[in-house]
Amino acid sequence: MMQYWPLMLKSAGTTLWLSWLAMLLGALGGTALALLRQIRFAPLRWVVIGYMEFFRSIPILIVLFFAFYGVPLLLEVDISPFVAATLALALHASATMSEVVSAGIASVGRGQWEAAAAAGFSWPQTMRHIIAPQALRVILPPSVGVFITTLKESSLASIIGYIELTRTGLLVRDSTGGGFLPLLALGAVYFVINYAISQVGAALERRLHIGRRSDLVGAMA
Amino acid sequence: MGYSFTLRTIYPYFGDLWQSALNTLSLSLLAIVLSIALGALVALMRRSALRPVRLLGAAYVEVMRNTPLLVILYLVYFAAPEAGVRLSSFMAALVGLTLNSAGYMAEILRAGLIAVPPGQFEAAQSQGMSSAQVLRHVVFPQVFRTIYAPLGNQVIAVILASSLATAVALDEVASWMQTVGSSSFRFFETFVVAAVVYLVLCQSVNIARILIGRKLFPQGRRA
Amino acid sequence: MTEILALDGLVKRFGSRTILDGISLNVSAGEIVCFVGPSGTGKSTLLRCINGLEDIQGGRISFEGQAVQGNPSAIRAVRKRVGMIFQHFNLYPHLTALQNVMLAPVVVHKEAKAEVEARARALFDKVRLAHRINAYPAEMSGGEQQRVAIARALCTNPHLLMFDEPTSALDPETVGDVLTVMRDLALEGRTMLVVTHEIRFAADVGTRMVFMDQCRIVEQGDPRAMVAGAQTERARKFLGTIHG
Ligand SMILES: Nc1ncnc2c1ncn2[C@@H]1O[C@H](COP(=O)(O)OP(=O)(O)OP(=O)(O)O)[C@@H](O)[C@H]1O
Ligand SMILES: [Mg+2]
Repeated sequence: MMQYWPLMLKSAGTTLWLSWLAMLLGALGGTALALLRQIRFAPLRWVVIGYMEFFRSIPILIVLFFAFYGVPLLLEVDISPFVAATLALALHASATMSEVVSAGIASVGRGQWEAAAAAGFSWPQTMRHIIAPQALRVILPPSVGVFITTLKESSLASIIGYIELTRTGLLVRDSTGGGFLPLLALGAVYFVINYAISQVGAALERRLHIGRRSDLVGAMA
Repeated sequence: MGYSFTLRTIYPYFGDLWQSALNTLSLSLLAIVLSIALGALVALMRRSALRPVRLLGAAYVEVMRNTPLLVILYLVYFAAPEAGVRLSSFMAALVGLTLNSAGYMAEILRAGLIAVPPGQFEAAQSQGMSSAQVLRHVVFPQVFRTIYAPLGNQVIAVILASSLATAVALDEVASWMQTVGSSSFRFFETFVVAAVVYLVLCQSVNIARILIGRKLFPQGRRA
Repeated sequence: MTEILALDGLVKRFGSRTILDGISLNVSAGEIVCFVGPSGTGKSTLLRCINGLEDIQGGRISFEGQAVQGNPSAIRAVRKRVGMIFQHFNLYPHLTALQNVMLAPVVVHKEAKAEVEARARALFDKVRLAHRINAYPAEMSGGEQQRVAIARALCTNPHLLMFDEPTSALDPETVGDVLTVMRDLALEGRTMLVVTHEIRFAADVGTRMVFMDQCRIVEQGDPRAMVAGAQTERARKFLGTIHG
């Protein structure tokens, strides 16, 4: 078992890389969706809400199956397990992130928009200079949670044969003649990574709340 | 595009789909009920007067929330036979899903208990209620109000998570999509059908939650 | 007059901190005892000891001859005969005003619903809230909630009513409504213990004033006489600051 630790740690890196990439794409997509939702045009809003509800109501596993087995049939392209996993994770993360970002934007009071409009800011200027900096404080802590979720979901990539942390754990189990110790070790690696990230998130949250001084919140007045 | 959408090829598999959907449903329902019970136990452990018991409860929650369900399922599936217990796929999935969901249920219930102000316990006690009466008439209705929405989310989360049971060889909706898709080469269609099944299940829960919530909690009852 | 409550050398500690240090007090039926004193001197704690919400570390409390210590069923028996009104009302938020009032008589005292409801409706007339009977606590003002809390306490026909600063969480304009109800109760000859900062109310309605400071009863006597000029320096100073 000991000789396999380097392998496990290396594949933990693979898992982190996959999750990070999916999270990045998901955050970008989620932000775009949240901004689209801001536009006062009902059909557009329905589309965004429909997208969110759709991805919140189907398991990521069937998205993964579809991306890996279905898309190649549909579009006659080859899709690697890595691309399929990244796609499925990112789609799912974008739906969650759009909600997180929407809540962040909503947390900034109407008064800020009115003050910015009164000072002659355009919509993009208001978003960029007034709303985003305030919303970000609300958005960051739950985003850490979304990242942890994505990291755990990335274990599903093992089902379509992508060799990340979970697949490696299963392979190690096979080559050491079964037993559940390799699986315990596998769980422990995930736990340590996720627990560490959650602690960083908690620290971040404390930081952001302590920093909530009135001169920051009321800067435009 | 050379691909045309047709359900005809997969019609013969709809009988299997019914069976798979029943598996998904019964697995989810059982896991929800059992994880509420286990979660309640863990939530109470976290309020215990004994520090080791509190720590154990907290550790359980952290482990469950930071470990992938898939790994927990594999552990149950592969470890049980080595401990001399032969678990069917369904039982292994149920145990794994319940253990995992209980970590989240415990947090939901704990938050519900914390949200009842100490003054509520005192008012009820000062009226001469026994502990059981306090819990039944004063604490439980308020906890239920707080946990109602997150409980609904967790129910949906369990339904979606039950798809991972395919990894321990249970025939449920996700594995139906996979097996039928690969034998018929109709992955788009099986995806759409599976998605519809999950959408119907989850949105039924969602709509039921909203409608029942309106009945149970008229505007004024919000504390 | 029959004695209803007797405290004898009551001692209350939180950890190593002494909060009540040898409190002795006898209360007869029909008395209205008003407790005054600086913040943190243990007035609330004293009331909470009387109905067993806090355990005590020394001395004796007896209510209508029954000790309020030790076994839970004795404590519950006392609580059934003592009504408590809290500073922050503590109404049950999931129940309507009427349901709040009816809960304990039905659940604890096992009375018939119809009987309890008739009595509860009469109590809502008494506290002048007949029109708010089906409102939830969140829909009521502080003054309204506190009057519901009084009705809730009255509905179990208590032999003693304890008020812990019933008006200090209220908006000034609703304080009067609550004090009016309390005056009515005094006129009915109810036995009441009232922790309050409303010195004028204590002087008008109280039959006795108890001044507490630093864990002890420093002085007690006729409320009007004490407001006009207390015996001890500390009481004089306190009543002076709060009155002027
Ligand atoms: N549960 C507790 N644990 C520790 N200390 C407590 C507790 N409850 C009250 N105390 C302390 O006991 C002291 C007396 O509190 P109490 O609330 O009885 O004072 P009070 O006379 O009612 O004051 P106020 O006029 O502010 O209501 C305070 O110093 C308080 O900090
Ligand atoms: Mg007090």
